[in-house]
Amino acid sequence: MTDTPNGWMLKGSQILLESLINQGVDTIFGYPGGSIMPVYDALYDYADRLRHILVRHEQGAIHAAQGYARVKNFPGTVIVTSGPGATNVITGVADAMIDSTPVVVIAGQVASAALGTDAFQETDLIGMTTPISKWAYQIRRPKDIAWAVARAYYIAASGRPGPVVLDFTKDAQIGMAEYIRKDCNFIRSYVPVPEPTEASLAEAAAMIDSARKPFVVYGHGIILSGAEKELAGFLDKGDIPAGSTMLGLSALDSDNPHYTGMLGMHGSLASNVLTQECDLLIAVGMRFDDRVTGTISTYAKQAKVIHIDIDASEIGKNIPVDLGILGDAREVLAELTRRIKPDVKRDWDGEKAACDAVEKEKVIDPEVSPAEGLIKPGEVIAAVANACEGKAIVVTDVGQNQLFASRYSRFKQSRSMITSGGLGTMGFGLPAAIGAKVAAPERPVCLFVGDGGIQMTIQELGTIMQDGIGVKVILLNNNWLGNVRQWQELFFDGRYSFTRMQNPDYEKLAEAYGITCLSLEDRAEMPAAIAQMLADDRPFILNVHVAEADNVFPMIPPGKSVGEIMLNDKDWFVYGK
Amino acid sequence: MESEKLYEITAYTENQVGLLSSVAGIFTRRSINIEKLLVYPSKIEGIHKFKILARTTEKNARAVVLQMEKRVDVVKAFYQEDNERSFMEIVSVGRFLKERENKQ
Repeated sequence: MTDTPNGWMLKGSQILLESLINQGVDTIFGYPGGSIMPVYDALYDYADRLRHILVRHEQGAIHAAQGYARVKNFPGTVIVTSGPGATNVITGVADAMIDSTPVVVIAGQVASAALGTDAFQETDLIGMTTPISKWAYQIRRPKDIAWAVARAYYIAASGRPGPVVLDFTKDAQIGMAEYIRKDCNFIRSYVPVPEPTEASLAEAAAMIDSARKPFVVYGHGIILSGAEKELAGFLDKGDIPAGSTMLGLSALDSDNPHYTGMLGMHGSLASNVLTQECDLLIAVGMRFDDRVTGTISTYAKQAKVIHIDIDASEIGKNIPVDLGILGDAREVLAELTRRIKPDVKRDWDGEKAACDAVEKEKVIDPEVSPAEGLIKPGEVIAAVANACEGKAIVVTDVGQNQLFASRYSRFKQSRSMITSGGLGTMGFGLPAAIGAKVAAPERPVCLFVGDGGIQMTIQELGTIMQDGIGVKVILLNNNWLGNVRQWQELFFDGRYSFTRMQNPDYEKLAEAYGITCLSLEDRAEMPAAIAQMLADDRPFILNVHVAEADNVFPMIPPGKSVGEIMLNDKDWFVYGK
Repeated sequence: MESEKLYEITAYTENQVGLLSSVAGIFTRRSINIEKLLVYPSKIEGIHKFKILARTTEKNARAVVLQMEKRVDVVKAFYQEDNERSFMEIVSVGRFLKERENKQ
């Protein structure tokens, strides 16, 4: 290390690590390989400042980084090699893009002289990740590293967050340059947080004041902008009920009196009925995903719509709006709360309670408190939620485990529901739970995962073993790909095409990894088993043999309106009838 | 079904490698065929200009413009109905003639 007038002469690989530390990075999820070896060599000397978690597959690294970012409110960092290392993170990059998760992927690349020659483990990572990342940039010179890293973390975390990919050529890692610390909080072509217009705020306040039955639908944007308190305050002052998207879960306390439950395909009856009953729909930090809206042509047709979002391209994308407000959810909600009148009389008249009563009788009680038969997945989730008193971080995989967990978990604290919403990535759960636990070692992390999803990234049990990461894995084991099985039963005449799954012996598998595993079949033993699982902070697998043919209800079948809801195999709730 | 028209979509951007494929990708994703494409330095120093002619609905034209603006290196994007299709050619020819005139 030689002093220079402005900094030090360092190798590119060292500049990268210094730049990461300068951005506040202290944890890296990664996997070494040929084109990234100079960085790993430098990392050897930085072990005291940068914790590196060696995953078992690069997909595990990026999902762990996503779980970490979602809990920590700080970009997750991934380092992988070129070629297959880089292509293995692509699913996670797409997942982070659609779920607005800040991650920075640093991938090795062949030396710049070899670019375009089909060199060993060369791949056009920029070309592949440009459509699925917020920014993708190739670093070819050591002198660009500090600039690119500063810009990467700024872009990943600011505005609507997302993934950034840095493709780092080997010669740039080896070459020397002067390291000058760089920070970035401005790019002239990029406006991360647009300012809401005075006119839009005034009009919104007037619309809210004159609404008889306003209803708020909110999403991930509440959590991303840190608007949890502002949302609760807005609902209090306006006396407005509110439903959450799957990614918005945990933004409001589950016991908040205004909270009506999750929206959409497997959401609460109340949230979907209020959508069709309200006269003003106020959408905040959500994007009207088709899993939320059902058939768009019949969605909240009776209501005026205000859409508050930080991303201009979301407003009017799926649902025509009467008023769009561009801005940060926290600022806009604080400002609207200040402007709306207190004590406005609303016409809501027990609709939520009536829906809740139907849902409890027809859906919740049979799922959560069955008198006999095999253990049901909803029952397990409710029991874990009770034992954790809503304080755990809930991580899910994708499928029935995710839908049951979304429905029956309880939340007391924000950033407590980590799931792959937009992309629906099976295999997300186990590595994301690792990242969540690394981000919040003091909190219990409960992963709900099916026997299909866990086998997609089961190799990460090795990471849990090596780093002693105290993830609680609740395996809802039904020997089926349950969600597809449910659709085959309901919509494909019971033709169970390739959804039956033979499972390994999970107890033996866990034993091989030195992880405690308990199998559970008897309902009477469930409380003790959950207590044993939560008794300490060590990794644990609870292998629950659940009812094989259980379905997630309520369900708005594909192609139906949010007012046409299946309560079980036989009963429907049709709004307005 | 909204009717399709010819739109002129313009974007002012930083001069970055790879931006062309990123912009083109936004059209590809919505199955919009680009009929004409021109990329050149704009009148503002250091800022490049994309000029794209495409037949699509207004909803799509608007969505494409907003998604272009969302790219970090895109400064601004616009769309308008292409009432004067030969505008670019006229300007280009006009400029050419003017240059010739000056050299006379």
